[in-house]
Amino acid sequence: MGDVTLEHVSKHYDDVTAVDDMNLDIEDGEFICLVGPSGCGKSTTMEMIAGLTIPSEGKVFIGDREVTNLPPKDRGVAMVFQNIALFPHMDVYDNISFGLRLRNYDKEEIERRVERAAEIVQLQGMLERMPDEMSGGQRQRVAIARAIVRNPGVFLMDEPLANLDAKLRVHMRTELQRLHKELDTTIIYVTHDQAEAMTMSDRIAVIDSGQLQQIDPPLVCYNEPANLFVAGFIGSPSMNFLDGEVTADGFSSTNIDVEFDPADLGIEAGTDVTMGIRPEDVYLVDDEALVSNPSRRIDAVTDVLEPMGDEIFVYLKLSESAETDLEDTSGVANDQLLMSVAPDTDIEEDEDVTVVLDRSRVHLFDTATGEAISHGIETAVQTSGAPGTEAESDD
Amino acid sequence: MASETPGAGIGSDDPDTEQGPLGRWVDSAIKNPDRVYRAMFYVAMLFFLVTTLFPFYWLLVLALTPNNLIANMGLVPKGFNPEVFIAMFERVPFHLYMFNSFVLGITTTVLVLLIASLAGYVFGRLRFPGKGVLMLGILAISYFPPAAFLIPLFELFTGNTAISIGMVTISTPDLFNTPAPMVFPFSALFLPLSIFILTTFYGQIPDGLEDAARVEGTTRLGALFRVIVPLSAPGVATAGVLTFISVYNEFFFSFLMNNGEADSWAPIVAGILKYQGQFDTPYNLMAAASIVGVLPVAILVIIAQERIVSGLTAGALKE
Amino acid sequence: MATEQQSGETFSDTQRSGPYASAVNWMESLSETQFAYLLLTPALVLLGVIAVYPLVSTFSMSLFADRLTGTARLGEFVGLQNYVDLFTGARNYALPSQFLPTFTSEFPFVTNIYSSALAVTLIFTVFSVLFETLIGFGQALILDQDFRGRRWVRVAIIIPWAVPIVIQGMIWYLMFQPNIGFLVGTSENPALLNQLGLIGTTPLRNTADALFLIIVADVWKTSAFMALLILAGMQSIDRSLYDVAKVAGASRWQQFKLITFPLILPTVLVAMLFRTIDAMRVYGIIQTMAGCQTVPSLSCLVVTTFNTPLYGTSATVAFVTAGIIAVVVSVYIVNFASEGI
Repeated sequence: MGDVTLEHVSKHYDDVTAVDDMNLDIEDGEFICLVGPSGCGKSTTMEMIAGLTIPSEGKVFIGDREVTNLPPKDRGVAMVFQNIALFPHMDVYDNISFGLRLRNYDKEEIERRVERAAEIVQLQGMLERMPDEMSGGQRQRVAIARAIVRNPGVFLMDEPLANLDAKLRVHMRTELQRLHKELDTTIIYVTHDQAEAMTMSDRIAVIDSGQLQQIDPPLVCYNEPANLFVAGFIGSPSMNFLDGEVTADGFSSTNIDVEFDPADLGIEAGTDVTMGIRPEDVYLVDDEALVSNPSRRIDAVTDVLEPMGDEIFVYLKLSESAETDLEDTSGVANDQLLMSVAPDTDIEEDEDVTVVLDRSRVHLFDTATGEAISHGIETAVQTSGAPGTEAESDD
Repeated sequence: MASETPGAGIGSDDPDTEQGPLGRWVDSAIKNPDRVYRAMFYVAMLFFLVTTLFPFYWLLVLALTPNNLIANMGLVPKGFNPEVFIAMFERVPFHLYMFNSFVLGITTTVLVLLIASLAGYVFGRLRFPGKGVLMLGILAISYFPPAAFLIPLFELFTGNTAISIGMVTISTPDLFNTPAPMVFPFSALFLPLSIFILTTFYGQIPDGLEDAARVEGTTRLGALFRVIVPLSAPGVATAGVLTFISVYNEFFFSFLMNNGEADSWAPIVAGILKYQGQFDTPYNLMAAASIVGVLPVAILVIIAQERIVSGLTAGALKE
Repeated sequence: MATEQQSGETFSDTQRSGPYASAVNWMESLSETQFAYLLLTPALVLLGVIAVYPLVSTFSMSLFADRLTGTARLGEFVGLQNYVDLFTGARNYALPSQFLPTFTSEFPFVTNIYSSALAVTLIFTVFSVLFETLIGFGQALILDQDFRGRRWVRVAIIIPWAVPIVIQGMIWYLMFQPNIGFLVGTSENPALLNQLGLIGTTPLRNTADALFLIIVADVWKTSAFMALLILAGMQSIDRSLYDVAKVAGASRWQQFKLITFPLILPTVLVAMLFRTIDAMRVYGIIQTMAGCQTVPSLSCLVVTTFNTPLYGTSATVAFVTAGIIAVVVSVYIVNFASEGI
């Protein structure tokens, strides 16, 4: 009923392509997030599902019906907007019942449904207020009630929490998850906030430049990003990237080499690759002796420390000339590395340190195409303690 | 720079000087230029008030003076004859002409608001090729003189225009002495102003509200009339008031597109002109009818002055 | 809610049938461009039938000779001969005498300049627009101030704008009809305006006097329009600019000269253009105050020849009038197109 399928959907505006050959298969009852930077085409994709925008090419299906050219009113979808979009000239009751009244429901049925929807979003007793007499959070609830009151097959939510303050946003996230559990209806949720996507969705569809980059459950996107874009976009702070090439001994870059047998991963020597490693997969080595293979040790100097409370972000300089650019969180930098350590770690700025990488969590990407080549150059071994020590000693 | 406080100079006259009042005033004016400025301001304001309002007062003077006493009038009425406001209706059925003016005004206003709402929605909210050219075209047409339209329109509405469709040639119906030959030209004449006012207002409604209405189940037109138009009520009111006043005030087509009789939908133009009799000129009735004829628009101006001001400026300064 | 699943309901709309529903569905299926043109259709049809068609038709009529006898409205096709005749004076025999240019070609603009429709129209336009701008400016300066009762002063200033043209004409007719009031005297007992030589004792029957009074009447009615536009321009000026000027020690006059005037000049020019276009079509005030035989404007000439009926000549004059206005309009449009609207 509420499954949504996009087949080779594209949208062109004059000479700009907003969405390029998008294929999506969303199952009934799924909570799916369309995530990507602003201008990536995620909102256009949602508008095409809603019927507010008609695709230039391709087909859209909701349930088993093709709806590509149907107007929004005939698609059985409901939508919550970023700017909330309550009708300012109607009170809460009229806002919620707007769609039902358009469909000529009888009065009692409308009343019953509005009551029920108001109950779900905890708006009882506010039905006679005007939108401008309510707080941001309350207005957002009205918008949600307006969406759920029609029992739509699909909910579309276009950054519904973007205009709320941080505290309320986190609270509403939980509410939305509860709502999804209660209603068991497909929710398609657009956001540019990857954290929001990670915490709420069953699957994340990462979109960039109008193209679908990856659609997978949050942890898969996090652990096995399909390409450089996804790897850099998902996760905060972003993954470290180092450009280098594959030699007969493994990965080689200006400051860091990682040994492996290219043949095992099916890569030819000489290929330009980008290595990615997340900050939490870089480990501080207290006792150098624990690292069995000295060539896997990386010497660095700590630069800036950012204590976050539950962890400390450490900017590492891999060479003398390195300069930490705090603004740049996504780009490739061959002479620096971001590491996350436990909050009780004894570490200071400008200190010489030795670190190792968790080899099971090293990602390799083809620099030319950006496609992932491998996630981990060896399988993680289930042991306790820092993988940087134990895992290495197995070698 | 002198103090900005009004009246700061009052009481600052030096009691020791032995000048006359004028000398003292000049003296303090030099010390305090704001005073001169304020004096000039009030003089100018008084001048404008007198010049704009005197003609109305003159009408009242003439209306209240019995007609046989109207000669070499001064500033006050010679006599007091309020019955003139009854006599004017006996001489000419002025109430019927006013009724016609109201009907023409309201019909035109409704027609203009409807058509301009659709056009304003298109120009304010849609993107399509040819938009700029069409807007300029509509603007340009509204500037042509009514005289340039006169003959063909007269022919068209008197049933003298033949339309050939293939082999069949039909004449247009004779609509002279119905409201049509006035309502349609009025509508075309005053449509552009309303289009521009409504384009501005409709363009300011956030996209999200229209999208929300459509997802909730309206058509595009439904969203226009259920959400955009109600939210633009001030703009619609402005366009409506301006259109009504414009029609009520129009002369050219009001004068030429009917035979001047009240039962032929002639508006107040013909009514006022009817007082010029063949054998006498009842100045007092003319003045009384002018007063009665002005009242509706004067009341409208007092009630809706904010709307009128914003509409005139928006319509003129936009594009 | 999920248990009350009625998902079918939202789809039922498309299944609704009947002509209304299918019309709705058809309209919803249009692309944005198609929909835009559909909604513009009423406006375009109205303007097409009431404005574009008459304009084209007027032009084509102007290419035919007048028909003095018989039932047909127009004579034979003469091309641009009407325009040529009008400008060379060869058509003068047909025109009512008041429209004839009586000044000779050797001494243009010397004698009785007002006896030509074009001259009357241009004089009216130049002087009325000029004085409306000046007086409108003054009124705007007053209304820009904050004082008690401003709302009522504004109403008083706007009201003349709302007066119907026919009543405006009647008011000024009643003020300057001889023997009625103190504004016009007799030759034995001249009024102030007569003594000053501004008007004669039968001002509404004398072309020069009547034109002067018609300009005054138009200024009385229309200055408010200018005032409102100029006021809007003044009020859009950032007030902090004046604070800067005051701190720098500028006098009120300097503030006006250095800030107010340059910033509202573009607004004033646009407003003047609007008024120019409007003034070029003057007709109603003339007809009610003095009559077309006294003050023959271009629109008067069109109507008079139309009534005669000299359709070819009338159409030619109408199209010339439209052409003159079109030149003014295109100046305006080019001016704005260059500013990139």
